[in-house]
Amino acid sequence: MTIKKISKDAFGKFVDGLIKQQKVMGPCAKGDRFEFEQLDSSSQLRLDYDVTLRPPNRKYFLPPVETLLTCEVGGGYQSVYDDTEFVLLGIHPYDLAALNQMDQIFSRDNYDTHYMKRRLAATIIACDVVTPSKDVFAASMGTATAEAGFDVLLTDIGDSYLMETGSPKGEKLIEKAQGAVDAAAGDLEKRKNIWKENQGRLSKHKLNCSSSYLPKLLEKAYSHPVWEEKAKTCFSCGSCNQVCPTCYCFNVQDDVSWDFTKGTRQRAWDGCLLDGFTKVAGEHEFRKKREDRFRHRLYRKGKYVPEKLGTKTPACVGCGRCVSACLPDIANPVNIYNRLIDDLGLE
Amino acid sequence: MSKPRIAIFDFACCEGCQLQIVNLEEELLDLIDAVDVVEWREAMSEQSHEYDIAIIEGSITRPEDEKRIEVIRSRAKILIALGACATIGGVNKLKNNFDLADVKKCVYGKSADMPHLDTALTKALDEVVKVDYKIHGCPIDRKEFTYIVRSLLMGKTPDIPLYPVCVECKAKGNPCLWDEGQVCLGPIIRAGCGARCPSFGFRCFGCRGYVDNPNVNAAKDIIEKYGLTTDVLKSKMLLFGSMQEPTNA
Amino acid sequence: MIKQNTVEKDIYLPQLATVKKAAMLNETELYLHLAMDGQPLDYVPGQFVEVSLAGIGEAPVTIASSPTFKDGFELVIRKVGTVTNAVHKLQPGDKLGIRGAFGKGVYPVEEAKGRNIIFICGGIGLVPQRSFINYVLDNRADYGDVIILLGTKCQSQRFFLDELKAWSQRSDIQFIETVDQGEDCWKGNVGVVTTLIPKIKSKLASAVIPVCGPPVMYKFVLMALQEYELPHENIYLNLERKMKCGVGKCGHCQINHSYVCMDGPVFKYSDLGVMPEAI
Ligand code: SF4
Ligand code: SF4
Ligand code: SF4
Ligand code: SF4
Ligand code: SF4
Ligand code: FES
Repeated sequence: MTIKKISKDAFGKFVDGLIKQQKVMGPCAKGDRFEFEQLDSSSQLRLDYDVTLRPPNRKYFLPPVETLLTCEVGGGYQSVYDDTEFVLLGIHPYDLAALNQMDQIFSRDNYDTHYMKRRLAATIIACDVVTPSKDVFAASMGTATAEAGFDVLLTDIGDSYLMETGSPKGEKLIEKAQGAVDAAAGDLEKRKNIWKENQGRLSKHKLNCSSSYLPKLLEKAYSHPVWEEKAKTCFSCGSCNQVCPTCYCFNVQDDVSWDFTKGTRQRAWDGCLLDGFTKVAGEHEFRKKREDRFRHRLYRKGKYVPEKLGTKTPACVGCGRCVSACLPDIANPVNIYNRLIDDLGLE
Repeated sequence: MSKPRIAIFDFACCEGCQLQIVNLEEELLDLIDAVDVVEWREAMSEQSHEYDIAIIEGSITRPEDEKRIEVIRSRAKILIALGACATIGGVNKLKNNFDLADVKKCVYGKSADMPHLDTALTKALDEVVKVDYKIHGCPIDRKEFTYIVRSLLMGKTPDIPLYPVCVECKAKGNPCLWDEGQVCLGPIIRAGCGARCPSFGFRCFGCRGYVDNPNVNAAKDIIEKYGLTTDVLKSKMLLFGSMQEPTNA
Repeated sequence: MIKQNTVEKDIYLPQLATVKKAAMLNETELYLHLAMDGQPLDYVPGQFVEVSLAGIGEAPVTIASSPTFKDGFELVIRKVGTVTNAVHKLQPGDKLGIRGAFGKGVYPVEEAKGRNIIFICGGIGLVPQRSFINYVLDNRADYGDVIILLGTKCQSQRFFLDELKAWSQRSDIQFIETVDQGEDCWKGNVGVVTTLIPKIKSKLASAVIPVCGPPVMYKFVLMALQEYELPHENIYLNLERKMKCGVGKCGHCQINHSYVCMDGPVFKYSDLGVMPEAI
């Protein structure tokens, strides 16, 4: 592990150098919001962003639509892969936690070559949060700062950035950074303070229990009235799924060329809140009720996924996107979990 | 295998959806290669009574149209409703909100009483005949149109979204227009257009019709949250939602 | 650090198979006898495959043959959706794609050895059970009493008639059939499949009981079995869900925490206590 310090000017030049060699995706302004885009110049980069519209981990590793295969009608199938090298620059610690979780899901049990080829072609430069978004609660989920899973971690300490490497890939990358010097003890002290402050600042909603208690809490909450109460005003619009960095459900669809000889098979984002998500060809729909779908998402985040992966971090990383995206304002996981704690207690 | 014969007919509409087909450019040639177009007033002069697939644009507004569509139905193996006028009655249904005599006076002035201007309540196609497939939108989405046609020619049921526009809007990374004070109908309108309007900063006005099970409770709830009244929402739902169940709720 | 996989097999890539025989079993059920073009299909009773048609899509289908059937494998496909409609047009010699076999929750071929087995099948639920039934019949000496209960909606929907006839003539198994709606020419039992249970109640106690049928059937079968106070781990339910990927990724098949494509499709009833969405 190396920790270097680099002035913001020099960092800009470093990024411009990277852009010449490979694709670099970074946070850019989109109106008064932010979104990860491919950079043409370091001047577009907004590392002071609060949160992006789409979670970068999903956008780049499990894109909204992706071709899996091509095929010949009546003949064989060929895999389609995208393994262009790129740098993902500026992902926040909470989205990084989601990325690490998704890496596990797509590499475990059945190794998903489509996801993993893209993933292995990427270099991850994470970045500590400078401006907290209006609904972020990463601190409650243990994802306000990053411990692992990055190649490089950036921290804005005022006039310069600290760059910590987390892998040989990261080491190699920052070798190219001209003007980077070893970080001094005082710089590290500054960074420590920022991390400490971020625990407080990334806490717009506060979960009234440790995030590792959620599976236990949910064990006794299955028939609680909150599901029906909240779901009464649920549109089943799936916005809470679509914006979530840890949602990974997908649908698979075929299309065919006009001469009906060649087909493509694509996967696209799907969401468990949507009507029809569990409907089988015979028309039977297994999770038909709005409240059942509403509950399923909160159980996945708080219980099913962390238990499956055996992790302490729940499958909600506290990015706050669903809170802002849900028009009837019912999606906030903290509100629901706190309500359950109020009613069911902590033991 | 002989090519399936397709006939395209129009009823009360602006023909904008047919224009979308004409505007398919290269794909139009592919389409014409794959099928045998036997009747299409917009693009050719021949007429035919023999076809496998009838594509119908427009809504039913006059009694004689009902008879005409019934004849078409009896001849076609597959009947497709093309565009909002045909699938949900479209803008034409607006007139159902007013007294018919007033509508006629307003549109045709003094000649309103002439018999060929007879007008009855506007009906979507499926209020008159059985519709096999609906290609939604005002106008239709070209990509979706070609996908549906290809699917049908292959003998498969096309996947037409059950979910609302927000899904596609969010997948595109659009900021939500409600945050900018627009009353967007995205959460209750069927997707498939790729969130065409919100992607350009315009609210969804519902041209693809409601999802099967729209949550009107939720709609009422959010207009309160955003400091609007139910009447505002209703008026926004009128353009394409006239006389449909959820609008009146 | 994330691990690099050296095998790099694409889990979504179908392998080609050729149709050896295709026949309609009744109005809606198509029988397909298939053989893989490459590596033969490796499977156990209860597993399923994703059947793939280029440009149309995939559908999960449980395997109807027993692994003891050495000449390829068999599927029975109901015409319900876009893929299965297209499958119904296949002719001998046609190619289709196969992924699988999938599913770790399978029939208890080993655990059931030496014990009585009572198969409860409703309609097309006979198909997945047939894989296990034929396996047991091919290894008859390994198992105790074998009873097959089958309920079909009406006579015209019965299928595998030759096989049913052969079962009814065997003396080393007991095959009892019923139809929901009896017609004049039907001489057998009339009523839903649960009405057959009292007929074999003396055999229930320690038997292994695999159940498979349409979604609505399970509740009634379980209610009917309840009064005999059987241990729940003796009852095996073969559950259907929407399945897109078959490999535990797409999320469609989930029943609470469990993935039908991975943990099922066959579940022990005793494991369903923590899965309120199951039945
Ligand atoms: S919880 Fe909110 S965002 Fe999620 S589906 Fe319901 S209304 Fe949409
Ligand atoms: S559940 Fe909501 S807050 Fe949690 S990670 Fe998903 S979008 Fe972010
Ligand atoms: S659906 Fe819209 S574009 Fe199409 S014909 Fe009707 S009014 Fe015109
Ligand atoms: S802009 Fe409209 S369609 Fe897009 S997310 Fe908001 S409500 Fe939904
Ligand atoms: S966004 Fe709404 S109004 Fe615009 S095309 Fe789509 S459904 Fe029609
Ligand atoms: S079928 Fe995709 S997760 Fe089970």
